[in-house]
Amino acid sequence: MSETRKAGSLLLLGVNHTTAPLDVRERFAIPLSRLADATRTLAHQPGVREAMILSTCNRVEFLVNHDGTGNVPLLETPGIPRFLHEYFAVPTGVLQPHLYEFREREAVRHLFRVASSLDSMVVGEPQILGQVKQSWTIAREVGAVKTMLDPLLQRAFSVAKRVRTETRIGSSTVSIASVAAELARKIFGSLSGKTILLVGAGKMSDLAARHLLQQGATTLLVSNRTEARAEAIADSLRTPSMTTGVIPFEQLHEQTHRADVIITSTGAGQIFTREHGRLLLHRRRNRPVFFIDIAVPRDVEPDLNKVEGCFVYDIDDLQGIAMANHQSRRDESEAAERIVTAEVERYDDRLSQAPATAAIKELQLSAEALRQQELARTAQRLSATPLSDEQQAAVDALTKSLVAKLLHPQLSELRQAETPKLREE
Amino acid sequence: MSLIWLRVAVLLYGVAALAVLPAALYNRPQWRRLAMPSALGGVFFHFVALVEMLVATHRALPVDTHETLSVLGLLLVVGFLVLAAKYRTASFGIFLLPVAVLLTLVPAFRPGQELIVYPFIRTGWLLLHVVLLLAAYAALFLSLVASLLYLIQERRLKQKRGAPVRMWLPPLETTDQIAQKALVFGLPCMTAGLLIGSVAALQTVGGAFFADPKVLLSLAMWVAYVAMIFIRRHSGLRGRRAVYLSSFVFLVVLAVWAANQLSLVHRFQTP
Repeated sequence: MSETRKAGSLLLLGVNHTTAPLDVRERFAIPLSRLADATRTLAHQPGVREAMILSTCNRVEFLVNHDGTGNVPLLETPGIPRFLHEYFAVPTGVLQPHLYEFREREAVRHLFRVASSLDSMVVGEPQILGQVKQSWTIAREVGAVKTMLDPLLQRAFSVAKRVRTETRIGSSTVSIASVAAELARKIFGSLSGKTILLVGAGKMSDLAARHLLQQGATTLLVSNRTEARAEAIADSLRTPSMTTGVIPFEQLHEQTHRADVIITSTGAGQIFTREHGRLLLHRRRNRPVFFIDIAVPRDVEPDLNKVEGCFVYDIDDLQGIAMANHQSRRDESEAAERIVTAEVERYDDRLSQAPATAAIKELQLSAEALRQQELARTAQRLSATPLSDEQQAAVDALTKSLVAKLLHPQLSELRQAETPKLREE
Repeated sequence: MSLIWLRVAVLLYGVAALAVLPAALYNRPQWRRLAMPSALGGVFFHFVALVEMLVATHRALPVDTHETLSVLGLLLVVGFLVLAAKYRTASFGIFLLPVAVLLTLVPAFRPGQELIVYPFIRTGWLLLHVVLLLAAYAALFLSLVASLLYLIQERRLKQKRGAPVRMWLPPLETTDQIAQKALVFGLPCMTAGLLIGSVAALQTVGGAFFADPKVLLSLAMWVAYVAMIFIRRHSGLRGRRAVYLSSFVFLVVLAVWAANQLSLVHRFQTP
């Protein structure tokens, strides 16, 4: 990689959920408000030419283009250890066991994998690409990414996009709450205008309700044995764009038909039976209803699922789908890894051809300058009897052709010789 | 020349019918990109073939059995394209496109021998009669397909098999809406089509027209159609029972079509 020698060396180091426990990651984490300052500080360290910092809850990574060569150990790299030590007030020795380090081609691969969400805790999650883009925007604003990192990061975004479109890595949901929301969408299409009924209280049911409300459900009803508790839950989930209401627990069955999705988590035994389901469907004029039973023991009689128009999913059903989706993502990640490998190759090839391209350009420019110089001299000599336009065009074409023919062997040699040599390196 | 365009249309419908399988079943966008333009191209060539054929035979409407079936095929593909554009689903193509291929395949290679000899074959009213009734049949078939898809999706959701994202069918409510809207669209088409046909027949055949088995069955078909819409809208009938109801009305439609052979006033025959 002679280009990297010219333009600097690529180094990526960081900690993530697999290498460092939360207490170490916490010490490294940089809030968004301080990211610009941290990036600027890193970019101004001696020997650092360009820099970008990615800080999320699962990883903190530093991508730098620096003066050193690929063989210099991290601790001997000027600037970077000093930055880590000074900015985070943590001795480098303490960080060392948790830090991972990638150079040149491996750094490119790691960046592509991170942007494509292949290195995430939940493989295929979509947030990471937005976070990398945010870090890139900040680094651009402070002038910390230029000729090497800027195109590299833009390439990483294209790779991530390719992975998303050519594989189904992000197409299935993997949390129980999002599986429930996905199922609701399969029944109702858009959740806009739909009513959610929350029966009982619990962390998981709250989360599922939040997810459904985020998908556009506009009304939330809460029913609990303690009315004050129901009010408190409704208040905690209320947003300005939605309507909330409390149904007294003793009136639950009279009011259930108002809800399209019922999330239940009382654990008080079967409060919804098959008979309730039939009555409910009758009151709803056969419009479907979706029961999400998070309680153990179950709140909904399993046979209620047999009533046409009633869909009952308990915690095991939801977990089963989440697991299947996890597996599906893992399967898709193999295809995604192949795309990343191919893209690293392509990037490497492009990079290795860059020096040859520069030399060719230089040769062509100097030959053209020489040609123009000679043309001008000839024109001066013939100033007494100037050439006609036609004659000028013929001379121009002749000199161009002559230059091209003279340069051809040199240019071919440059093109052929440069690539294998760089590949060997 | 019109036959060549019709064959091109059949070929394109065939490509679309094959491409729609991976597009809908495995959610492969690249196959969708092949299926949609193929279906659209098929509609274009089909339309060109139809116009050329009518111009060449100096007629304003399709009169032979095969021509009529081919127009029905065209309407089904148009229905599929409208649904794909509006609801972003290719699932309906799995059923509609092969039927369209079959309906167009025979006319493309063997023009019909039997035709209805209308006394005023060039009038726009009769064209309207034919097109409106075919649109009503297409709408009914589409509604039947939608009801079937609803049933399949409902079963899959109840069996809790596989990941929900992999399910290739549109959401239940969307499918139900499509079924209802297709019926609501088909009703005025059927009513107007039957009325125009009746007025035209009265002028040429007279009162005997209402004693014809084909005409009586057509009236029964209209009543069944209206009853089906009423029941579905009033009781919110969905799922299995909706499929039964749609299938029953579809059978009545097939009986009406078959009654062409028994009719004295509306019969496809060899000239």
